[in-house]
Amino acid sequence: MNVKSRKNAFWIALFLTPVLILFFFYFVYPLGFIFFTSTLKWNGVSTPEFVGLQHFISNFQNKTFLLSIKNNFIWLFANGFVQIGLAAIVALILARRPRGWKFLRTVYFLPNVISQVAIAMMWAALYNAEYGAINQLLVSIGLENLTHNWLGEYATALPAIIVQQVFYIGYFMIIILASVMTIPDSLYEAAEIDGANVWQQEWHITLPMIKEILVTAMTLAMAYGLRHFEATFLLTNGGPANRTSVLGILLYKKLSALKYGQASSISTTLVILGLIMIVVIRSTIGRKSSASDLTQ
Amino acid sequence: MSIVRTNDQGKAQVLGNIAKWIVLIFFFTFTFIPLLWLLISSFKTNLELQLKPFAMPKIWQFTNYANAVKISGLPRLFLNSIMISTVSTGLTMIVTSMAGFVFSRERFPFRQGLLNLILAGVLVPIIALMAPYFRLTNALGIYDSIWALIFTYTAINIPISTFLLYGFMRTLPRELEEAAIMDGTGFVGRYWRIILPLTKPGMVTAGTFVFLFSWNEFIYAMLLTSRPAVRTLQLGIRFFTSQFFTDYTSMFAAIVLTMLPTIIIYIVLHEQIIKGMTSGALKG
Repeated sequence: MNVKSRKNAFWIALFLTPVLILFFFYFVYPLGFIFFTSTLKWNGVSTPEFVGLQHFISNFQNKTFLLSIKNNFIWLFANGFVQIGLAAIVALILARRPRGWKFLRTVYFLPNVISQVAIAMMWAALYNAEYGAINQLLVSIGLENLTHNWLGEYATALPAIIVQQVFYIGYFMIIILASVMTIPDSLYEAAEIDGANVWQQEWHITLPMIKEILVTAMTLAMAYGLRHFEATFLLTNGGPANRTSVLGILLYKKLSALKYGQASSISTTLVILGLIMIVVIRSTIGRKSSASDLTQ
Repeated sequence: MSIVRTNDQGKAQVLGNIAKWIVLIFFFTFTFIPLLWLLISSFKTNLELQLKPFAMPKIWQFTNYANAVKISGLPRLFLNSIMISTVSTGLTMIVTSMAGFVFSRERFPFRQGLLNLILAGVLVPIIALMAPYFRLTNALGIYDSIWALIFTYTAINIPISTFLLYGFMRTLPRELEEAAIMDGTGFVGRYWRIILPLTKPGMVTAGTFVFLFSWNEFIYAMLLTSRPAVRTLQLGIRFFTSQFFTDYTSMFAAIVLTMLPTIIIYIVLHEQIIKGMTSGALKG
């Protein structure tokens, strides 16, 4: 028995080793790296100089950083409330199985299997000032004065990228729809007999039943808002004049300039904001629900 | 199932019905029409694109597609993406199924703590780890090779894949193994011959997720490689604007070609893919 359990221990260790090694090098060490490096002035080859929290202090006095963090919050709210709100509305509609609902569900999800890069390139073409379909459409219906250089003007650049992302509701709609579909029909039948109309049914039956999944979806959507990178990088690279910059873009620019200390201070800010966000969501709207199942 | 959430009768209902279809058609338009516009435009001449943006092409320009393949080096990009995605998905499945097996079927010290630690990895914003991944890849001597991306993608997907496979294996009844243990089946035999075959549905779900992640990943493909020879499809797209210059419609053709593989697979396997991609948010 002793030999056997010792043999077992050997196999357990062996089976865990690959995952633990990879996890250490790609999660534990990197987090340690960014926390530690955020206190250094370092270009990757020079002798690192300890500067304490100076990067964080100067970040919060830097206009581009503040603009980026503000834009991250705009993304966070746009994703968390607008996108999830729209996704929930569509999910509630599709759950009542209107004509063609399966087809629509499949189409709505389609953009999620296409890469963000390809989608962004397509929108760059749609928004393009000279041959883009959006301006051409406006011209062809006589609204020439509404045409813009969508991605190049201060006022329109950020909204243009946000619209491009937020109206792709498929992913969250599917998650919410799956949850709505598990509610037994008998609840609605009973409510109908009691004279409740559609709105009352949705409000009093559906919403309370899908609260948990809504909180999970919001958590995920907001996390994506904090991590936002691709679409902005490809459509504007943060421009014009940093108006669409987010922390991810700024981080990439600092790293490209080999400013490891500053880059790591931005990384650290991202990690901490992510944790704060989860704590806030869990302690407010998600109090009794097992929000963000992933953390369990 | 007699009354299945019907909504008829009444003026409010009629208005609600109209509003419902406006919403559904709006999102259909937003999702589908741009893709259709891209597809049709990719068969036009550049002059047609400028002058008759919403008309059908007079002559369908299949040469755009020939140009697209020639200029962009698509075959190489495809090959790189397929290699990287396949190998990293395979590796992720192997290592996380081993870990999932141990976490779900064995008892040992620090089991719960280690499991929680790994699962907490899903909370880390991977984008924040650009600098350390760049240093690590250089230190390992794999910068600018496909292994840089294979290792990175495998590692990034460990938390989510462990979560999915552990969750799946945990639901398999213990009795399955007991008979085998009686017959003298060892540790590896239980993993390989009993648990793994039963975990196939979970592996398909997790594998779909990991493969699509690797296929579509962009940031680290950009950060960890530089030679055109190791470029992935997504990174390659980024260079289209400079490669095609003002030949927009050929560029559109190239973009359409990059979209096709996943769209075709989606048309065939949409139920499975939807499940794979959303199961990260839903339990099991």
